[in-house]
Amino acid sequence: MSDISESVAGELWGREGFREDPYIAAETLEETGDAPAVILPLAAWLGLDESVRNATNRKIGVSVAPGESIDPLLPLLDTIPLIALQFPAFNDGRSYSKADILKNQNHFKGELRAVGDVLIDQVAYMLRTGFDTMKVTHAVTLTRLAEHNLHDAPGYYQPGRGSHTVPGAYSWRRVPGGA
Amino acid sequence: MYRYDEFDHAFVSARVEQFKDQVERRLAGELTEEQFRPLRLMNGVYLQLHAYMLRVAIPYGTLSGRQMHKLAHIARRYDRGYGHFTTRQNIQYNWPALSDMPAVLDELASVEMHALQTSGNCIRNVTADHFAGAAADEVADPRPYAEILRQWSSMHPEFSYLPRKFKIAVTGADRDRAAIQVHDIGLHLKKNEAGELGFAVYIGGGQGRTPMVAKKIRDFLPIEDLLTYTTAIVRVYNLHGRRDNKYKARIKILVHETGTEEITRQVEAEWQAIKDTDLKMPQQDVDAIDNYFRMPDLPQRPEGWSQLAISRKADPSFARWVDQNVTPHKNPDYGVVTISLKPIGGIPGDATDAQMDLVADIAEKFSNDEIRVSHEQNLVLPHVAIADLRIVYDLLLTDGLATANAGLITDIIACPGLDYCALANARSIPVAQRISERFGQPERQADIGELKIKISGCINACGHHHVGHIGILGVEKKGEELYQISLGGSGDEICTIGDITGRGFSSEEIVDAVETIVDRYLLVRTDKEETFLATYRRLGAAPFKDALYNETANAA
Repeated sequence: MSDISESVAGELWGREGFREDPYIAAETLEETGDAPAVILPLAAWLGLDESVRNATNRKIGVSVAPGESIDPLLPLLDTIPLIALQFPAFNDGRSYSKADILKNQNHFKGELRAVGDVLIDQVAYMLRTGFDTMKVTHAVTLTRLAEHNLHDAPGYYQPGRGSHTVPGAYSWRRVPGGA
Repeated sequence: MYRYDEFDHAFVSARVEQFKDQVERRLAGELTEEQFRPLRLMNGVYLQLHAYMLRVAIPYGTLSGRQMHKLAHIARRYDRGYGHFTTRQNIQYNWPALSDMPAVLDELASVEMHALQTSGNCIRNVTADHFAGAAADEVADPRPYAEILRQWSSMHPEFSYLPRKFKIAVTGADRDRAAIQVHDIGLHLKKNEAGELGFAVYIGGGQGRTPMVAKKIRDFLPIEDLLTYTTAIVRVYNLHGRRDNKYKARIKILVHETGTEEITRQVEAEWQAIKDTDLKMPQQDVDAIDNYFRMPDLPQRPEGWSQLAISRKADPSFARWVDQNVTPHKNPDYGVVTISLKPIGGIPGDATDAQMDLVADIAEKFSNDEIRVSHEQNLVLPHVAIADLRIVYDLLLTDGLATANAGLITDIIACPGLDYCALANARSIPVAQRISERFGQPERQADIGELKIKISGCINACGHHHVGHIGILGVEKKGEELYQISLGGSGDEICTIGDITGRGFSSEEIVDAVETIVDRYLLVRTDKEETFLATYRRLGAAPFKDALYNETANAA
């Protein structure tokens, strides 16, 4: 079990599987040298000059803690390449609501990433609320993801990403697949 | 009643398969108890004082005969021959082996039942008026909406890791039998002036260590907006509810700390953003669910009235049972029968496998195959012809199920307490049993009239003591069990939290203390028509405190 999880530790997971993470996380832009893709904490990101934020030669994503509000980001979504929502503990569910607000309500086009303590049983929920990628620390989760074992349900009782309606079914129900 | 379609069957089977795998991994030692904990809780499996406990969901308390037979079978085969009906209209099994849990869940799935969301920080089993669809005073049946909420909240991706558990109750009558104002969301189904159905929406009610009566945030919400509005409420709670202290994590604290006006503004703002999304319900879907709950075709049985008069005259015990345990039905030839699970000196809410089988048989024959579980821990036969009351009574009598005490002083709600529960500080069941024995004499109970005693073995208030006319809370003080009394609580449409009388009473003193209160009530009530609660509301706590503490002081 640990062999698999070690081989993919530190990698980024998406629906297509594991891959290298092009971003590096840092506290300030200064300490990142000329790295082409950087993730900064919300306060640091908001403190950047607009011209730096919108520079075309590098991507600067923003990381948001569960207790932080995403409201300041909403008017700027078109310019943000990546938003990373933190899960310091698996049972703090605030970022699920934020994911839905960002992706479904405000149509954020950039990458939405879950970072932290993610249990395997939560991955399917995260994909449905709008997350694109996951950077996971939990060894069991990494192993199961590597085995493509998502613990998903055959049908859902709510709308969500990655699902579609079935003609004639109740309006709130969905089945997996499609956008 | 609602029947699973293929979608529901596939959903529940997949969950059972998943849990089987998890239990096997736990038994094989691949998962530690700590890792297993969140997984088992999602399937209703708790670790109690002596053993694992399984809590099975009975959505809005509605069961068929076949389902009740299955619950009996599970009690017989996997437990010690009984089950415990709870204040959330669920049933708990106290002694199943962990290795049997997947088999039990398989058995449940075969009759369209499960144990999902009976624990954890998610939206729990939705409850409703136990007389729904039958009571004469009902505006509309609340169960279709409870069923829609049940479906929508099942494994909800956004709302499975809330700050704390979340409870929704729905009532469809002005007389609130579902205690909606002590729920996280309470929905009162009603008609507006144009005759359209909609909901008055209450939020932030609850018991536990900080009891609060819910606040009304909307007087009329159209049916089509049920799911969008509920989503807005739960989203505001998920984002802003406190997560730093589990005792302050319920929505009632958020409502209290934010203020009703501001939280209403936040909910309405969130709702404006989502009210026209996919969750807005088309009328045809509401109608399709509603169709499952249509009033059954009940044949006219006018002969019952004359038969009833004769039977009543011939048998005073039967007459007392009819007076106390039968409530008016929408159809005048029928009645709604409450089966008391509170035999004198018994354990509130417990039923044996044989009793469950008997109730199932009676329901199949005499109640259109329908049974309800009430949050007061009784069972209900919703559609019994007046003409069949005598035979139903005689059948119930064969196994101790004809106690004529619905709503009376011995119809006590009690949590499992220290006899079973890992959280409890004190025993609840023995106190309930002793009070029941003290007041068990039929004439005495009838004279006292409506009086709801509710007992909790700890501050979590599973026994609903805050809304007991007489509430009893067990606490632990210096290694001794001590019982605190509160008076004047009520969970109905005029919802109030009881007032604590003063210092608590020992296990030896508590039954005498209750009797002191009751005796004082009998002394000061205007007449027999004035209930205990009405008397308390008229006079306040003073006469009762005087009786309790002065007399105790004199006696000591």
